[in-house]
Amino acid sequence: MTSSSTPPAVCISGLQKWYGRYQALCDVDLNVAANERVVICGPSGSGKSTLIRCINQLETHDAGTIEVNGKRVDRSTPRMHMLRRDIGMVFQHFNLFPHLTVLENCTLALRKARKMKLAQAQEIAEHYLNRVRIPEQRGKYPGQLSGGQQQRVAIARALCMSPKVMLFDEPTSALDPEMIKEVLDVMTDVASEGMTMICVTHEMNFARTVANRVVFMDAGRIVEQSDPQTFFSRPSHPRAQQFLSQIL
Amino acid sequence: MKFDPDFALSVTPLILTGLGTTLWIAVAASLCAAVLGFIFEILRRSNRWLGYVMRFVIDVIRSTPVLVQLYFIYFVLPFYGLTLPAIASGVLGLSIYYSGYLAEVFKGGIDSIDTGQFEAGKALGLRRRDVIVSVILPQMLRNVAAPMGNYFVSALKATPYLAVIAVPEMLGIAMEVGSNSFRYAEPMVAVGVIFLTLALCISYVVRLLERRLQIAHQR
Repeated sequence: MTSSSTPPAVCISGLQKWYGRYQALCDVDLNVAANERVVICGPSGSGKSTLIRCINQLETHDAGTIEVNGKRVDRSTPRMHMLRRDIGMVFQHFNLFPHLTVLENCTLALRKARKMKLAQAQEIAEHYLNRVRIPEQRGKYPGQLSGGQQQRVAIARALCMSPKVMLFDEPTSALDPEMIKEVLDVMTDVASEGMTMICVTHEMNFARTVANRVVFMDAGRIVEQSDPQTFFSRPSHPRAQQFLSQIL
Repeated sequence: MKFDPDFALSVTPLILTGLGTTLWIAVAASLCAAVLGFIFEILRRSNRWLGYVMRFVIDVIRSTPVLVQLYFIYFVLPFYGLTLPAIASGVLGLSIYYSGYLAEVFKGGIDSIDTGQFEAGKALGLRRRDVIVSVILPQMLRNVAAPMGNYFVSALKATPYLAVIAVPEMLGIAMEVGSNSFRYAEPMVAVGVIFLTLALCISYVVRLLERRLQIAHQR
């Protein structure tokens, strides 16, 4: 799993996050090695999304440290936008730009952030649109696509930046059941190519087959983490047992 | 005194010599007001203290009469060493006045954009400036096309205020015709009809634009 030779892609220690008086994260420690695939699950309100949103600082934390690709990130990190270019993120509600075509959605950051020429950016975008299996939709607007297609475009858009880590925040939760598979297939593909992935998801089959490690959170804490085999067959924490008995 | 249609028609060409100035001022003031209003709104959102300052500035602009602002620029600023020609004062005055209103319009237009759009832009590693220009601005313009168009029409109809600082726009010319001929009804009706025609044309174009943007949004 974690080999000592490769430095961790994400290193979180003692992380705390408060919303007013409500503590969303309590002393969370989590190391994710390069090429590792971690699934974070747990009941709603357990802090899963907050945790991964802290990794690219869409949420700022109140205590503890986060290092991503060897660089410390917090609210005072200068040029955070530069660091975010190496951290891809896929959202529950896709968040594609509705005024841009599929291709333009994918090329925007390449052109603005990586300062690429249009032709080169388009070449990269088309490569990833091929990989998520919707090259034929390149000229359409997000509103013309199904949810599953939109989410695959969102994955391609994130991959275009060649991130070192990919964060998935419940990528299939807003999808109709028949579209979940196409998105999970693409995610499995991405995983098979060695991408470091941190996924918040309730797709236990995906966790079982793709993850190296399952992290279970409850009430802002990581209460259990183990390889999927152990997690699904012999969960040790009562809260995890209860959770699994309810969803499986 | 009876209304003389022939006299009204005969003075119309003279009044129309001010049309260019009127349109020029209206267009320039609308564009400057839009740019200024957008900058105000972006600054207002940038951090808490600047937010309070911009809130105050926008409130002051919106809560003082446009004539007071025009007089201030044209008659008061020269005492402090800033003398602007009449037309420049007029454009500046209307720009500032309408920037306050447009800032409010833009606020609504930006508020109605899903926060996920800001987050997606940020997560991709775009600079704040690029998120604003490439992600937020185009979506905001779509949201505010109709109210923004209304303020452009309003700015056009506010150009006669500039008569008080001797800008040669249409009302000023009409007043001159009136005082020379002692007939005010005809030149005033002529001015009114010209403004009515202009405003209706702009409203029509705005509605057309709005419909096209809506179709684009449904794609």
